[in-house]
Amino acid sequence: MRRRLAAALAASLLFAGTARAADAPPGAWSCTGCHALSSAPSVPPNPIPALTGRPAVEIAGIMREFKSRGRPATVMGRIALGFSDAEIDAIAEWLARQDH
Amino acid sequence: MANVLINAPKTARRGETIELKALILHPMETGFRPGANGTIIPRNIIQDFTASWNGVEIFRMRMSPAIAANPYVSFCAVASESGVVRLRWSGDNGFAVEESVTVTVT
Amino acid sequence: MSTRRRTFLGLTAAALAAPALVRAQGAAKVVVVGGGFGGATCARFLKRFAPALAVTLVERQKTYTACPFSNEVIAGLRPLERQQFGYDGLARSGVTVATTAATAVDPAARTVMLADGTRLAYDRLVVAPGIDFDWTALPGYDEKAAERLPHAWKAGAQTLLLRRQLEAMRDGGLVVIAVPAPPYRCPPAPYERASQIAWYLKNSKPRSKVLVLDAKDSFSQQPLFRRAWSDLYPDLIEWVPLSQGGNVTSVDPATLTLETDFDSHKADVANVIPPQKAGALARLAGVADRTGWCPVEPTAFESTLQPGIHVLGDAALAGAMPKAASSANAQGKACAAAIADRLAGRPPQAPRLVSGCYTLAAPDYGFSLVGVYRPDKGELREVPGAGGASPLDSDPVLRAQEARYAEGWFRATTGEIFG
Repeated sequence: MRRRLAAALAASLLFAGTARAADAPPGAWSCTGCHALSSAPSVPPNPIPALTGRPAVEIAGIMREFKSRGRPATVMGRIALGFSDAEIDAIAEWLARQDH
Repeated sequence: MANVLINAPKTARRGETIELKALILHPMETGFRPGANGTIIPRNIIQDFTASWNGVEIFRMRMSPAIAANPYVSFCAVASESGVVRLRWSGDNGFAVEESVTVTVT
Repeated sequence: MSTRRRTFLGLTAAALAAPALVRAQGAAKVVVVGGGFGGATCARFLKRFAPALAVTLVERQKTYTACPFSNEVIAGLRPLERQQFGYDGLARSGVTVATTAATAVDPAARTVMLADGTRLAYDRLVVAPGIDFDWTALPGYDEKAAERLPHAWKAGAQTLLLRRQLEAMRDGGLVVIAVPAPPYRCPPAPYERASQIAWYLKNSKPRSKVLVLDAKDSFSQQPLFRRAWSDLYPDLIEWVPLSQGGNVTSVDPATLTLETDFDSHKADVANVIPPQKAGALARLAGVADRTGWCPVEPTAFESTLQPGIHVLGDAALAGAMPKAASSANAQGKACAAAIADRLAGRPPQAPRLVSGCYTLAAPDYGFSLVGVYRPDKGELREVPGAGGASPLDSDPVLRAQEARYAEGWFRATTGEIFG
């Protein structure tokens, strides 16, 4: 029992501060090719907004608006159409937990 | 937009093997594809391509639906005498195009 | 907590099952060869997804010169230095960076031989070798001819050479761009290049012309390019498709003449983009097929020819995904996730990949092509209804916004990989 606990502790230390692939729903890491996952400001400022500090419900709501063409967009309308509402919710919840 | 492009040497030595190239704009519609409304688009292909040198046929090609749009044909001929090379394409829906070039043999 | 423990134990189990060399070292080994968008992304994300992995990135050059935006360097709008990135960020993230060439791969023994004599063992090998030119495909055009008629299709010295030639050209000169038949790296890039060169000529040498000789009859985002050319560069760019005799059949470096099946064009500056194939390492590793490219399965990008070897980026035949930096970036992440999962004893999940290709027809005139892809019937296919190009009728504000986002993408993605 004690050894199992030690193993678990070692594992949690090993993965502390990292985001494992299995935690992220499919497509989640696509966001970060353009959107920063850090709340640290980029210098000079990047015109593409960072995705940290937003609650999941806000991100999911914006994605749904992109999908329904209810929100002006360049690429995001075309990208959002590639994800179901459930997939959008899962990505939004994952994003809301990230800050690197 | 030219409908036909031809490349043949203007001059050649007697007995020389020359290359002739021809390209024609044509959809080569196979007759197997459904259109936007789901019905089959009727076949529209070039069926025959021939070349003659001073009236004597020197090259003939029978084309099939498997040949791509805008068919490009290149072939060789021996330059025996000065004259007119006549190229003729014919096919579905009464399609017929004829072009000619002159080759001077020295 | 419980999933984390499972991961850790799974990794241990995988290591125990692996060959002796790996067991002795304790951690599973992944070797990534090629430090471009695909390979460097994969190396970086392997450490992120599975920090216990021993990840080695093998790359010949100390500095990577990125192709996206290099057409702006040719137009004189951007210094080459902004295209260049080192590997310190990868080293800081825990990737072992080996600045040397891979000279051989032994798939049976699972080892990679390096130019410095080292033999690296691997549990998984990732090759991202980019492209090589087929120097036999176009008569007259070889590596020596490329010093006269630059390809500028690998960014760096060739990019600067083409820039210098344009600067030295007389006003009223003819710039010829020869475009090969697909597949080649970055489908819209020849036309972005024509646009960027036209931008330079319009502003500096307005009596000059750009002639694009093309081995095909249609191209990526053609309506958007045609609109941009008529908006920005009327009568400056002429495009000759295959069916109008655009296919270049030979070049003469001495006279800067390009021959097509039906015509002959004498250039003042000639940019010849030669036919391409997967980079040399793909053939060394036995992952390239008779087409010269590398067939892969769509979840982990594992070669269908050599188990245990993954192929990323331009070298891979990745279904509907274009050969582009953002594709390679997306594939690098998907491959890293799949390898991390597999080495931890988990089945990899089917990826969803997004590619986005920006084009700058002028500094403030951008448009884009995006695609969303997933494995479907054994290959990567587009998710129906998603993706596509920017609208043809878009106002200047939106075009300018896309141009700014293009730069934003470049900074974000290179920061994520190399930062």
